[in-house]
Amino acid sequence: MAKIDLDKMLEKVKNTQWALSDIDWDAPGADLITEEQWPKLKEFMADLMWIEHVGARAFAAMANKAPTDTLRQLYSYFHAEEQRHANAEMALMKRWGMLDGDELPEPNINLRLVIEWLDRYSDEMPVYVLGTVVPMLEIALDGALCKFLLDTVEDPVCHAAFEKINDDESRHLGVGFTVMEMQGHGATYIKMVQMAARLMDPRLILGIASYFPLLNKMRDNVVAMGLSEEKLYECMRKFEKIGGRTEDGRRNPWFQIIKLHSRWVVDRDNRLYHKPVDAIVKATSYIPRKALPAVPSWVKELTYKPTA
Amino acid sequence: MTNATTNRNSGKRANGAKAKSLAAPKRSRPSTVLIVGAGFAGLGAAIRLQQAGIKDIVMLERASEVGGTWRDNTYPGAACDIPSNLYSYSFDPNPDWSRSFSGSAEILDYIKAMVERFDLGNYIRFNQNVTDLAYDDDQGLWHATTEAGEVFSARAAVMAQGPLSNASFPAITGIDEFQGHKIHSAAWDHDYDFRGKKVGVIGTGASAIQIIPELVRDADKLTVFQRTPAWVMPRPDFQTPNWQKTLFRKLPASQSALRKGLYLAHESMALAVIWNSPMTAIAERLGRWHLKRQVKDKWLRRQLTPNYRIGCKRILVSNDYYPALQQPNCKLITWPIARLSENGIRTVEGIEHQFDCIVFATGFEVSHSGTPFPVRGSGGRLLAEDWQRGAQAYKSINVAGYPNLFLTFGPNSGPGHNSALVYMESQIDYIVKGVRTILDKNLKALAVRDRAQQVYNADIQRRLAKTNWNSGCKSWYLTEDGFNATMFPGFATQYASQMEELDLKDYALITA
Ligand SMILES: Cc1cc2nc3c(=O)[nH]c(=O)nc-3n(C[C@H](O)[C@H](O)[C@H](O)COP(=O)(O)OP(=O)(O)OC[C@H]3O[C@@H](n4cnc5c(N)ncnc54)[C@H](O)[C@@H]3O)c2cc1C
Ligand SMILES: [Fe+2]
Repeated sequence: MAKIDLDKMLEKVKNTQWALSDIDWDAPGADLITEEQWPKLKEFMADLMWIEHVGARAFAAMANKAPTDTLRQLYSYFHAEEQRHANAEMALMKRWGMLDGDELPEPNINLRLVIEWLDRYSDEMPVYVLGTVVPMLEIALDGALCKFLLDTVEDPVCHAAFEKINDDESRHLGVGFTVMEMQGHGATYIKMVQMAARLMDPRLILGIASYFPLLNKMRDNVVAMGLSEEKLYECMRKFEKIGGRTEDGRRNPWFQIIKLHSRWVVDRDNRLYHKPVDAIVKATSYIPRKALPAVPSWVKELTYKPTA
Repeated sequence: MTNATTNRNSGKRANGAKAKSLAAPKRSRPSTVLIVGAGFAGLGAAIRLQQAGIKDIVMLERASEVGGTWRDNTYPGAACDIPSNLYSYSFDPNPDWSRSFSGSAEILDYIKAMVERFDLGNYIRFNQNVTDLAYDDDQGLWHATTEAGEVFSARAAVMAQGPLSNASFPAITGIDEFQGHKIHSAAWDHDYDFRGKKVGVIGTGASAIQIIPELVRDADKLTVFQRTPAWVMPRPDFQTPNWQKTLFRKLPASQSALRKGLYLAHESMALAVIWNSPMTAIAERLGRWHLKRQVKDKWLRRQLTPNYRIGCKRILVSNDYYPALQQPNCKLITWPIARLSENGIRTVEGIEHQFDCIVFATGFEVSHSGTPFPVRGSGGRLLAEDWQRGAQAYKSINVAGYPNLFLTFGPNSGPGHNSALVYMESQIDYIVKGVRTILDKNLKALAVRDRAQQVYNADIQRRLAKTNWNSGCKSWYLTEDGFNATMFPGFATQYASQMEELDLKDYALITA
């Protein structure tokens, strides 16, 4: 990936849009889902859909903070595009009979915590933090999960939808890495200190506290479905490779942190990391749903219906 | 993608223009002053000229009625957002305004009554759409050619064709594919029955926030598409009590006192609107308070919170816009629009929102560099060419190279915080002085000096750099390159005092 011209990218994004109605959700092939796959796939799809949605909300926060008008517009589009992915995945679930009537699938508790955090604090986070975490989430979760899905599921409609989704996703990543490099450009000691100060921000610590277990939880879910852990890690290494390919990119302090973190995640032997985080995953599973406040209203905009 | 424009107006345009223009154009005896447009500006100019004893006037109006903005904008809820006592001419006060912010029809009645009262009817040629305005150096005359193939000439010309008179549709892909009904806010279709219909509204500007609370009552479902949220302030709207009308009639001084008070109140807003001052923060707090009080849902509030400094774009006033958006049959969409399709609007989140009717509250064609029709000056130079890098004028009213031509709403004359008519009065009185000078000194040409124009503009641009308009948001005030050729960077009082005097040093006086 070469560094991209953001203005040209914005034009391209505007000119190549797709809609749910471009896909025939009733086309044959739904029966290619095996009975054995079905229950696990249902959970997997629900997670995937929620991750898209969480990514969408993060882009919304980034749009408000974007340093230039072009980036602001790009992030506004990406916000909507991630929402489109969630909508399309919900439509697949509908097709496969995985939705309870018109009900939204329940997010798992770790996602629920991330949603809660995003709703409360994401708009207050500096754009740098989200600007680095989001590419990581996208490449690791979206990338790995989608690839896995396509390897496992034969339904052609699923393939058609993900072809479009992946096209969007690669643009998001291109912009994500370009921005990371822009931010690394001219990074100084002062920036490192500022960032360290920000790390002490309790709001950010809360965010980290909900993001770490999410990753481990996802890993568990994916493994349960038969994806080799190695594949997930491969993707996370890709983040390290692309993000660190230039001097500027490497100089972005956030890149360094996230990279370090992804190394921990990948390294199963790092018990110092995994022990407590796995414990949190376990602990969070005991949080009673009722203890959480009502879902924010942005969640209710999800829909599987191509027309309104 | 094209920018579709309609030059619509409610009156019928003269037809058969093509056939006629082949024949020799019909010419009439030159007048003293020629005015393009019979809206507030053109009519006001005619009144003041007449009062100064200049009665040889011809006004060319493309529609079949007077009124401009207020003849065209008849959408439900259309009203001024500057109090009527200030949004009217001081030389023609109206004691009978029914509300603090009068509706479109009442303003149009006021304009029509003005035409009657000052007997302007004889000056106006309706159905004359000016397509070309050219100066003849030899004769010292301006010639206006109309679509109907007629040529009208005069010693001085006033361009009063309005800053917001050409409705514009947005450049959205597929706009012609939509098979449902399309209505532009400035060309309302009063025969369309909204009851039981699914309606989309594109835009959330000044017109949209007046339309939405009305439509939400009738439409079965109303969906509002927003690109950028605006600052919305509470609107102190009330019916005029009868005692007040009586008082104004019996004691006109009381009305001019109120006008003065309103004027000063609006002037003080300049502090908040034009420059980034402590008042700006206070105004923003008021805006946020208004939003918070009227919108309880956190996400909706976030969607409606502007992310630019107040004053950078036009500030809106409404008490019923936010509540309307929260009606059960109303929905705000902030996803970007991807395209229009046969049945509706596709937004980027992948959903097609289907409608019976789409209302375009998308504003007007605003040209920062061109002119609505070719304007040719001395030696045939083209104003659009001189303005290529952004429109410029001397005191907003004269342009070097275009003798005896006067602009209303010219470059950098726009108010951000006060009544347009306050500015217009200053311009009109300046025009009267200019024309009087031409007549009294029997000039062939009153031509502003290039140097004077440059000095004036350097100063304006320097002052603009410090304003909120130039603080980084995109608005129709700015060109694509961010050049501000629209707004006047100061108080209305400063504008009025700059227009007070016609400084002959800044002009070349050419006698016949
Ligand atoms: C919905 C709306 C609300 C507004 N509210 C306010 C407010 O509250 N306060 C405020 O200060 N301002 C307001 N404005 C701004 C408003 O435009 C001005 O206040 C004022 O009405 C402009 O008057 P005008 O005579 O310059 O232009 P117009 O009223 O537009 O009149 C121009 C006339 O020229 C005619 N014309 C145009 N081109 C040609 C041509 N080529 N040949 C012949 N005739 C032509 C048009 O048909 C029209 O009749 C509002 C504008 C709109 C659209
Ligand atoms: Fe995604």
